[in-house]
Amino acid sequence: MSELVAVTIDDRPVEVPKGTGLVEAAQAAGVEIPVFCYEPRLGPPVGACRMCLIEIEGMPKLQAGCTLTATDGMVIHTAATSAKAAEGQEATLEFILVNHPLDCPVCDKGGECPLQDLAFRYGPGNTRMTLPKLTVDKPIPVSPLIALDRERCILCYRCTRFSEDVAEDGQLIARNRGARTEIATFEDEAYRSPFSGNVIELCPVGALTSTLYRFAARPWDIQNVPTICTACPVGCNVSATIREGKVKRILSRNHPEIDRGWLCDKGRFSYPHLRAEDRITTPLRRGKKGLEEITWDDALDSAEEMLRNAGGAIVTALSGSETTEIAYALGRLLRGGHGAHSAVMPEATSTALEAFHLPLSAIGDAEIIVVVGDDPVVERAPIVDLWIKEARRHGAEIVVCSPAGDLATEPGGAAARCQELATPRDALGKKLRAAERAVLIWSGPGGGGGARLAELAHELGLEEKAGSGAFHLPATANALGAAAAWAASADADEANPEPIELLIVSGDEAAADPSVRALAEEAKRVIVLTMFHELAAGWADLILPSTAALERDGTTMNLEGRVQRLRRAVPPPCPDELAWIAKLAARFDVELASEAPGVFEELAGHLFRDLALDDLGLHAPLPARQTYETPAPSSSLPAASPAASLETEDGALRLQRFRALFSGPAVERVAQLDFQRPDAEVELATAEAERRGITSGDAVFVRSNGTSVELRARVNRKLIEGVARIADEHASDLHAVVEVVKA
Amino acid sequence: MPERPQIVFAGTNGGALTQFEDYAAVGGFAPLRKARSMAPDDVIAELESSGLRGRGGAFFPTGRKWAFVPKPDQLAKPHYLVVNADESEPGTFKDREIMLRVPFRFLEGCLIAAHAISSQHVFVYIRGEYEQEFEVLRESLEAMRKADLLGGVTVVIHRGAGAYICGEETALLESLEGKRGQPRTKPPFPAIAGLYAAPTAVNNVESITTVTSVLELGATEYAKLGVENSTGTRVFSLSGDVVNPGNYELPHGITLRELIYDVGGGVPGGRELKAIIPGGSSTSILTGADIDTPLDFTSLVQAGSSIGSAGVIVIDERCCMVQLGIRVSQFYEHESCGKCTPCRVGTRWLTQILQKIEGGRASQPDLDLLLSVCDRIMGKCLCPLGDSDAIAVLSYVDRFRDEYQAHIDLGRCPFDGESSLEGILAPSAMHESPAHGIARV
Repeated sequence: MSELVAVTIDDRPVEVPKGTGLVEAAQAAGVEIPVFCYEPRLGPPVGACRMCLIEIEGMPKLQAGCTLTATDGMVIHTAATSAKAAEGQEATLEFILVNHPLDCPVCDKGGECPLQDLAFRYGPGNTRMTLPKLTVDKPIPVSPLIALDRERCILCYRCTRFSEDVAEDGQLIARNRGARTEIATFEDEAYRSPFSGNVIELCPVGALTSTLYRFAARPWDIQNVPTICTACPVGCNVSATIREGKVKRILSRNHPEIDRGWLCDKGRFSYPHLRAEDRITTPLRRGKKGLEEITWDDALDSAEEMLRNAGGAIVTALSGSETTEIAYALGRLLRGGHGAHSAVMPEATSTALEAFHLPLSAIGDAEIIVVVGDDPVVERAPIVDLWIKEARRHGAEIVVCSPAGDLATEPGGAAARCQELATPRDALGKKLRAAERAVLIWSGPGGGGGARLAELAHELGLEEKAGSGAFHLPATANALGAAAAWAASADADEANPEPIELLIVSGDEAAADPSVRALAEEAKRVIVLTMFHELAAGWADLILPSTAALERDGTTMNLEGRVQRLRRAVPPPCPDELAWIAKLAARFDVELASEAPGVFEELAGHLFRDLALDDLGLHAPLPARQTYETPAPSSSLPAASPAASLETEDGALRLQRFRALFSGPAVERVAQLDFQRPDAEVELATAEAERRGITSGDAVFVRSNGTSVELRARVNRKLIEGVARIADEHASDLHAVVEVVKA
Repeated sequence: MPERPQIVFAGTNGGALTQFEDYAAVGGFAPLRKARSMAPDDVIAELESSGLRGRGGAFFPTGRKWAFVPKPDQLAKPHYLVVNADESEPGTFKDREIMLRVPFRFLEGCLIAAHAISSQHVFVYIRGEYEQEFEVLRESLEAMRKADLLGGVTVVIHRGAGAYICGEETALLESLEGKRGQPRTKPPFPAIAGLYAAPTAVNNVESITTVTSVLELGATEYAKLGVENSTGTRVFSLSGDVVNPGNYELPHGITLRELIYDVGGGVPGGRELKAIIPGGSSTSILTGADIDTPLDFTSLVQAGSSIGSAGVIVIDERCCMVQLGIRVSQFYEHESCGKCTPCRVGTRWLTQILQKIEGGRASQPDLDLLLSVCDRIMGKCLCPLGDSDAIAVLSYVDRFRDEYQAHIDLGRCPFDGESSLEGILAPSAMHESPAHGIARV
């Protein structure tokens, strides 16, 4: 317990810990100190807007309350008890409104605008500004996602501070000075950052607005539904703004341990995929004339027939985007009803990391963070990247062991790196052992779903240290929950049917997966559950429309191992999966609840130690750490991992693919997100580029076995030699070994 | 003629001491050797007893400022000395002459100050337009380096890029760190967390140059010059409607009359003296009736103004006080950094209202509004820039109310086109922002 100091605010005495900011101290006393620029998540206060002017006894001038901390005996007067403070606050508001356009009736922010609220409470009732206001062109597209109205801007610098000090992209800047100061991007380029949308929520006025939400609703005709983002395994807490049964925007719903109120643009802006042109809402069956729309009754009849004919020779491909309940219901139907135990999982998962649970926020407090794995953290779990940046700002040592990291590591070399770190004489390993707050992160494929990392964490003794822990960043939102639910749905070993009579593809990620497509070639019949026509039209015998996460009730388990509640924000345009799975299951005498709470209740007994859905609340708790159990040994030893063992010919490079954050079926269906998708480029080490006479920006051909792709070269001086790095969506059919030549 | 002891410009005989040998020959570098033979605290004590106060405008005791810098054993961070050579206050042009004529005395003062606050790093932030001054300093520094006088101290001369606000010490530090030049909120004060969040003393060029002289003369001798509360000499920048504008080093306490008439040759053409701005554009205006006010801290406060940066601007009968207000307000509007609301918005608003008055379109409430806006700026800004505009404009209305009233009553400027602001502050050509648009998306 830190030392308490006694302060008096508007005649109310209150005790707060020493160092508490006056805004918070006032809150503790039940008093408001109004603010615009003050936002503790953005770092130290700047005292720019002067909204928080207060009178402090013993100080002749008004003070910016947000910049000061409580000291013992301080006597503070806000506008409520000081005419001087009231005059100061009214002055600030008058100045702010001098050039403000007062176009509230057509402003998106109107009705949920701090400037409106504070002008009402503290502002002058009339205007004394009779001279021409400062006017500028508007709105300015800061990017395809964000529109900037510089007349509304009150220059609180929240957005530029976010860009500079939180996202650390340094793209939003203030330029010019005085009354002509304006927010801009360098050279007026589009603000391209995975986190750009946060500035819209930070903006205390209607200066930064979402191009997707502009003029779409008024605050009094919307509802906000609390749910969970499923764009990645972080599971940020969000609110979906609903108007007339449609999702109009996504807002953050600050879970201090997970997201601190930040969202990435994929989570914030990909919701229009719910109304994509090729969204399927009616079942489709392949007939003589190709795919034909059929009724749900027919669809269930067909599914039943296919299941009966398959005789158990069924393989199920899961996406990792199912709710835990859907994965469980599918398991009960297929495994319980048909003995169809064979499944293709999106990725390996492991429970070994449960011994090293930590809230994500603990990353921000770490002394040392070691990241292993081929993929940049931001591409897999963007919010984790923000926590790492925060740790660095606090002075933490960050070591990234990857092909383009601080400690150059071969592609696929993460497991070997972990073994090195575990040896007693490894210098970095020693630091990890010595630290009180050490965090390990696996960001990339392989590693047994965290099992290899857990072995390292155990070797380093991290389970004994409360501030230390380890995270595996899965590729999909609910890989952990789906795998656990599938496993819990029956008690039998997997068998590999040969031939495959029926392949069931659950979800868009599985439908888009080339290895699943390959299985479909083998299978006699294929049922695909998908949202989009394009993903399954060419190869499915029966297509059942899927719902989107925003249309689902249920739970997911994020990368921390936290179970969180999805709430249905909008009704789906087709029956919910759980409803028809229950119907279908009944035909095979499998009894299943048709709604998420019922399924969860059954599941909780198996999986969640009888956790109740209500326990999850709006901000779900993190389960306690489990005792460490040695995971199953690695099936592929690191030395023999495929990428590392590839023999490359002279001049050939190993292709390192990565799945970009802005990729996948949802992102591809939102035109405004196109500019965020990865550039068509290949990254090369400086030496590799020089050897080929290539410089950044050159057009190059990347070739392998008859496939050739033209891309732009980018020299990445941190990248190791022998590697060509390309985003999945631009690597098309390239093989594992490629050559790169100047076009 | 008043007595004119030369302290800052000692040994120059009206010329410049830019040759190393010439400066050494008039006793140069002895003060540095003397300081280095003393304990840092003793140097600070010497400065405190000399009564030397900051020449940048705030008049803060130099020795006390240094005493606020933690000792190396109290805070294990690098300590910095930052010299503010970003001289930009309208009506003030003394530092440039000091750097041009006595560069060694200035740099020697830097090293003495560095010794006093146990700093190994000196940054001289020099106004970007001061190109010749920059070259002189660079050559002088090189000569001192060759003579092995730096004693392990790194001296960096950093050129600014043209912003008045960067003369405000925390904005200067931001700019020096490579950031947008905007003031920081205080606390923390630079003495504790200044440059790169480390202990920093920020001093003006004239103050630092005078430090050398204080060490040379000794505190007691130095304090004999000038008057109580304002010891020593001051380099006054005399400009405006005066026969002999220029920089004059004179002891504190001489009167405006002595400066303007005896030294400056009076108002040209025998015109009547109308007003005097005694300490740079940020200080309150005085009327011709205040001509016998002594130029020292206490006397000018009593007269309702302040000594500021000692830039004395002489204004004769031809000047319209509303036009003067516009010119001054435009300057602050143009130089407002844009960080805090009252200054960013208020300075522009003041200009607009003043233009309305000058244009003869104003009615009585506009004059009240002008004063009210000044009031609402004053004491509410992040740094003194906005206050400076308000202080100046308020004082013009206060001392020349009739003239402001006449603009309203007549519905036009009583001077019509006859008013002259020539030589009184440089006009601030408003740089209109080109129409910006983010086109590339």
